[in-house]
Amino acid sequence: MVIKVLEIIVSPILAFIVGVFFLGLFRKITARLHWRYGPPIIQPVLDLIKLFHQQGFSHGPVFDLGIILALAGSIILVLFIPFGGICPLSNSGGLLVILYIMLFAPLGIALSGGEGANPNISIGVSRKLILALGYEVSFLLVLLTLMTYYNTISIVDIVENQRNFQWALFSPLALSGIAYFLILPAMLGIRPFDVAGAPQEISSGPAVEYGGRHLGLFHIWHAFSLFIYIALFVDLFLGGGSNPLTFFIKMLVVFILLTFIHGVFPRFRIEQAIKYLWKWPVIISLLGLILVMIIR
Amino acid sequence: MDRKDIKKWFKAPGKMGHKYSLWAIYFCTGCGIIEIPPVITARWDAERFGVIPVATPRQANLFLITGYVSVKTLRAIIRTYEQMPDPKYAVGFGSCPINGGMYWDSYNTIKHLDKYIPIDGWIAGCMPRPEAIFVAVTHLWTLIDQGKAKAYVNYREKYKYYRENQERVLGKLDWPPLYSIGGGND
Repeated sequence: MVIKVLEIIVSPILAFIVGVFFLGLFRKITARLHWRYGPPIIQPVLDLIKLFHQQGFSHGPVFDLGIILALAGSIILVLFIPFGGICPLSNSGGLLVILYIMLFAPLGIALSGGEGANPNISIGVSRKLILALGYEVSFLLVLLTLMTYYNTISIVDIVENQRNFQWALFSPLALSGIAYFLILPAMLGIRPFDVAGAPQEISSGPAVEYGGRHLGLFHIWHAFSLFIYIALFVDLFLGGGSNPLTFFIKMLVVFILLTFIHGVFPRFRIEQAIKYLWKWPVIISLLGLILVMIIR
Repeated sequence: MDRKDIKKWFKAPGKMGHKYSLWAIYFCTGCGIIEIPPVITARWDAERFGVIPVATPRQANLFLITGYVSVKTLRAIIRTYEQMPDPKYAVGFGSCPINGGMYWDSYNTIKHLDKYIPIDGWIAGCMPRPEAIFVAVTHLWTLIDQGKAKAYVNYREKYKYYRENQERVLGKLDWPPLYSIGGGND
């Protein structure tokens, strides 16, 4: 019982540290790819300290509560995802609960943006929802394939089945893994799919009215979402990890690959993004599902 | 950032945060903006100083006024400056905001920018080199460290003076005063 409570306290803190470290590494690697020197790796921490010491603006109670709802949704989601050996709540609910709680964060941002009443926010939110419409199709197909293959909805059981290097990525599930990796940039909102928060087109989209500590909370939410989607990929396809360190190393590899994609590609327009997302990931994940159906 | 700073970090983390994370707003005034793309991209890389461009005034705390200020632009500058959250630093870039520069006798530009919004520092030259921006940033660090970069406090305290000057040039302003005109207690 005590261990359970400790895990519930520790795992969001670990996720926060890893997420903020990833934000710093993200900027550093992108800078090195652009042949720049780049900021110090603790720059996001400095930014967060600054943002929480700034004067804040508020456009009303929903504007404050929406961003808190998004952050709370992400923190709850962290509790359901096994991080190495640490899995506080992941025995209950499994993948279906994760699918439901994933809706919290975009909903909170959209609510908060509605109170902000800036046209750029509504464009950004609608783009985010259209993008979600694009990647959810293949995401659901991938999860369906996993549940069919392992005959369980529990994420702990899926991790358990992949022990001793029987990773899902090197099994008949490989096609689903590739499809998940193809939609991962769209889920994280990094290039080539950063249409929702494009600074040059729509003044950074949903974050346009955020300043001071709202923006700080938005950055923390972004750090959490980086952690969540990559941790989910590691859990589902790379066999989790026996301890937090190996899990972290696997996450680091996936993250650095994604950062390379971010550093190299330009941005899609929204209809190009949808065209891509409804074509290749869907085809690959459907093939994966059919393959798994035939094998079983 | 060096090791001597650690004591300051524990004493005033907010101040150090403002110092090392200056976010400049994308705002193009006149010809000086042509020096900004090299500064933020690969050749001079302002990101190593923590200076990045952001798209909205709500997120920014550094305002570079690059080049001559026409009367029409002054309106946008004041609105942008008033929307930025409070420790905010404004820097005039080039000789035109200082005293009019080569537009000293123009009918449509303002000569002294610091009559309309408070300025923390100036970068002289026509054009200044991109390195001058880094000199300005490091100098701004020193000013923040010594507590001298207080132009935003000045704006609040002498708001009546600034508002009168703004109204003299722009006519009646179509937005309410940011602080009470009496100045001070807001």
